[in-house]
Amino acid sequence: MPEKYAVLPCNGLDKCAGQIAREIALLVAEQTASELICPVFYRVAAARYDKIAKENPLLVVDGCATRCASKLAAEKGLKICRKMTVTEEAQKRGVNLAVEPLRLKQDELALAAVLAAELLKEEDAVDGKVAAAAYPRPENYIIHKKDKFIFRIPPEGFYFTENDCWVQPVGSRARIGVTDYVQQSLSDIMFVTLPAVGTEVEQFGEAGSIESGKAVFEVVCPVSGRITAINSDLLAAPEMINQNPYEQGWIAELELTNFSEERDFLLDAEGYLKVLKKKVDEFHANQRQG
Amino acid sequence: MSEDTFMGVPRDKIDWKPTIDYTKCNYCMECFKFCPHNVFKKQEDEEIKLIVANPTNCVVFCRACGKTCGLDALSFPNKAEVTKKIKEMRDGGSANA
Repeated sequence: MPEKYAVLPCNGLDKCAGQIAREIALLVAEQTASELICPVFYRVAAARYDKIAKENPLLVVDGCATRCASKLAAEKGLKICRKMTVTEEAQKRGVNLAVEPLRLKQDELALAAVLAAELLKEEDAVDGKVAAAAYPRPENYIIHKKDKFIFRIPPEGFYFTENDCWVQPVGSRARIGVTDYVQQSLSDIMFVTLPAVGTEVEQFGEAGSIESGKAVFEVVCPVSGRITAINSDLLAAPEMINQNPYEQGWIAELELTNFSEERDFLLDAEGYLKVLKKKVDEFHANQRQG
Repeated sequence: MSEDTFMGVPRDKIDWKPTIDYTKCNYCMECFKFCPHNVFKKQEDEEIKLIVANPTNCVVFCRACGKTCGLDALSFPNKAEVTKKIKEMRDGGSANA
């Protein structure tokens, strides 16, 4: 674990979650030789923090789902090493922060300490990737163009959901990921949350999420199965999803449980192309109206 | 939009939409600004300033607007239950017999 981080917290003074985010940042700075970044000052005096933020692994602590700290990191073009959202973490532990007062008491301080430790915890080194060669790279792509945007679809060997996720089955295993529509809509992807190896996922259940300055996209798993490997390279280089979401941008690998039945609920490349065209047209029409 | 289907099932038969908890919502309009499908509608002159006006425009299984809500005021149906119902409707009842 590096001894020194740059810590960019939410500065939310008017929410309990914001106060906890500040407390977490303070604890992390005290426990390591890290530097704190004040988001308010960073906005008006970028030079004060640019060097610190770029030269150290960056920890981002968002108070709530508004993700102000993450959005600021995106705006400044920073690479996030690790991040957490206080309200989500609280919810996982059965705590509703919306009803808590702004001044932190014993329980909230204890939660902040737990979350600071969580943020500093080493990632479990799980990397059981099956040889990439087992998953053939698409030899070509179906291309759909709209204005300056290009959407690729691999013509064979992949199945799709109407939620813009894909599965590439090979024998009893399969890789999953998102399509070009997702990465184009999100634009620069800055953070990926991968599912845990060993978890069982239902068809259309959640298998991680990907995030840009614009939005968070939940990966809708096209098939059910047990996660056998994750693409941990994405943690350091989430932009690989922008570069090619079907090849180096794959998200996870699963041991399939019921693919022959589940395939009926998936689209082939031609079917997905129709869905994609409609979405792209609607999206553009709305953008123009807006 | 009436001819729309999702996984071969008419969209209007699938109960998937956000529900606004008005005790939490502060009308920041982040969800309205985010959703490209016109699911939400602003009503500036009304007491309730935001409604789910076009629930069948909502992309089934999409919960992205919920992730823009700092106050956690948006909720969605249970995914597993909706999936089960969609599969039952696809089977047209015959497979359940």
